[in-house]
Amino acid sequence: MSLAAEAFVSQIAAAEPWPENATLYQPLNGKNHFFMLISCHVSYVPIMSQAYLKMCGLPVHLCCRANAEYMSPSGKVPFIHVGNQVVSELGPIVQFTKAKGHSLSDGLDDVQRAEMKAYMELVNNMLLTAELYIQWCDNATAAEITRPRYSSPYSWPLNYILAYQKQWEVRRKMNAIGWAGKSLEQVYEDVSQCCQALSQRLGTQPYFFNKQPTELDALVFGHLFTILTTRLTNDELGERVKSFTNLLSFCRRIEQNYFEEQDRDSQSGASSRHSKGPSLM
Amino acid sequence: MAAPMELRCWGGDWDLPSVDPECLIVLAYAKFAGADLTVKPIDWTWKTITATVPELRSDGSTVTEPTKILNFMRKQRFNADYELSAKQGADTMAYIALLEEKLRPALLHTFWVDAENYADLTRPWFASRSPFPLNFFVPSCLASAGLSRLLLTKAESPLCGVKEVEGKIYSDAKECLNLLSHRLGSSHYFFGSMPTSLDAFVFGYVAPLHKAPFPSSRLQQHLKQLANLCHFCNTVLKTFFEEGSPPPAQETVDANLQKLTQLVNKESILIEKMDDNLRSSPQHRPHRKNHKVSAGSSERNSTPA
Repeated sequence: MSLAAEAFVSQIAAAEPWPENATLYQPLNGKNHFFMLISCHVSYVPIMSQAYLKMCGLPVHLCCRANAEYMSPSGKVPFIHVGNQVVSELGPIVQFTKAKGHSLSDGLDDVQRAEMKAYMELVNNMLLTAELYIQWCDNATAAEITRPRYSSPYSWPLNYILAYQKQWEVRRKMNAIGWAGKSLEQVYEDVSQCCQALSQRLGTQPYFFNKQPTELDALVFGHLFTILTTRLTNDELGERVKSFTNLLSFCRRIEQNYFEEQDRDSQSGASSRHSKGPSLM
Repeated sequence: MAAPMELRCWGGDWDLPSVDPECLIVLAYAKFAGADLTVKPIDWTWKTITATVPELRSDGSTVTEPTKILNFMRKQRFNADYELSAKQGADTMAYIALLEEKLRPALLHTFWVDAENYADLTRPWFASRSPFPLNFFVPSCLASAGLSRLLLTKAESPLCGVKEVEGKIYSDAKECLNLLSHRLGSSHYFFGSMPTSLDAFVFGYVAPLHKAPFPSSRLQQHLKQLANLCHFCNTVLKTFFEEGSPPPAQETVDANLQKLTQLVNKESILIEKMDDNLRSSPQHRPHRKNHKVSAGSSERNSTPA
């Protein structure tokens, strides 16, 4: 979204309060599709956005549609439909809720806000790039898991073309940022270092900025949850993350506090297949 | 003693020891940690097109990239981060990630992609520092490398041009500078009174933006409004890079002695706290005189530790 459009949306958003019938759209959660999302490196985003909205205490219905990606204004999932506006991707969603007057980071002073943004960049820089690398640049994982999943909804020959095109794109990006020369061990090492930094920052507190959850908590939860619940060729990444006990209990705590109520509420709805999805317990 | 280390980097201009941000990071860190580096500028040599700078050579091994070079120096016991706590170390990692994600693309754009700056400042400078016939190739090679890096990391799809991401890159960079300014506040360096690797990274990225004579740059104007960051750059330049200024208090203290001093300081702070607690607790008030004596003797006992 260009800057002018963002400002316009914020202005409109500020005009009305949060309605009751807000809906979060994401692609189908069927066995195949959940894992397909990971290869588009957006699987953590639905969980992140859900966690963020729950932390704000905003009611939102979950709706799974097969064509969610095409419904979204920017082509990315998830997106929320609030009143007569549609907003996609986590960054704009956070700004949108801020314009409505709900913000998790209001209580932070300038220095803490700087720290929060810095840690969010660290997570984006390290964890996201590592996830991409492991899925697409590691030949074993790419051949066995990622390419088949990515190409599963399409028929021949589109599935081959799209899968290889995506792989080529990702490898070019890795080349540009200097990750192409790294071995898998080094990538695991980087993830461990990132988790260690997060673990030290978290310490024994319940959330990163003591008592209140913020965007950073939603972001970290989204990434770690994805890493811990995705099946890959080997479990080393999951094991490394699990070795940081305070991060593991942090994820469990957020899952218990914010996602258990949803399980209880929506036993009947078909849209809540997420509740039967992978969990940490 | 560590083996002699040699650094290959771009030469300096505009009051800076080097014009390339990554080389500046390594030079600044070396000064902070008290490491003796022989600096070999690659200007006017064929290395301008063949070498990746910055490059550190020591004892037969070669290391490139600022993070790896800093790790190598730490292993050689040149550690400017010795006194940082674990949380401060984690903060350093986070802020460095912030700099690389938000500020570096804008720097690349300002130097290499912005047409006016490239034509008036960057290309003439790099062309004048390269031997014939490389002066025709070097600037455009570096510019296309910078542009492709920008597009690959910031653009949403392979067909996006640079115009769409320009606005976002600059607003991200301004936000990053504001955040750094808030974090620095009014102190001299980011963590207390001695500079660390985070200071080296910030200096490396911010100093070229501050000092380079751009024909027009909104980012440079934004930076000039953040007085504490400009002051930070000038302080580092004056203290560590001025000709003839002695390196301040960078004596190569033995690592064990440093650790010991830290432990003793921590112990004495703990003992003072205990002291205050005992003095203020109500049941011990009648025996205050006895306690003063015992507290005094416990302090005396701790000093030879």
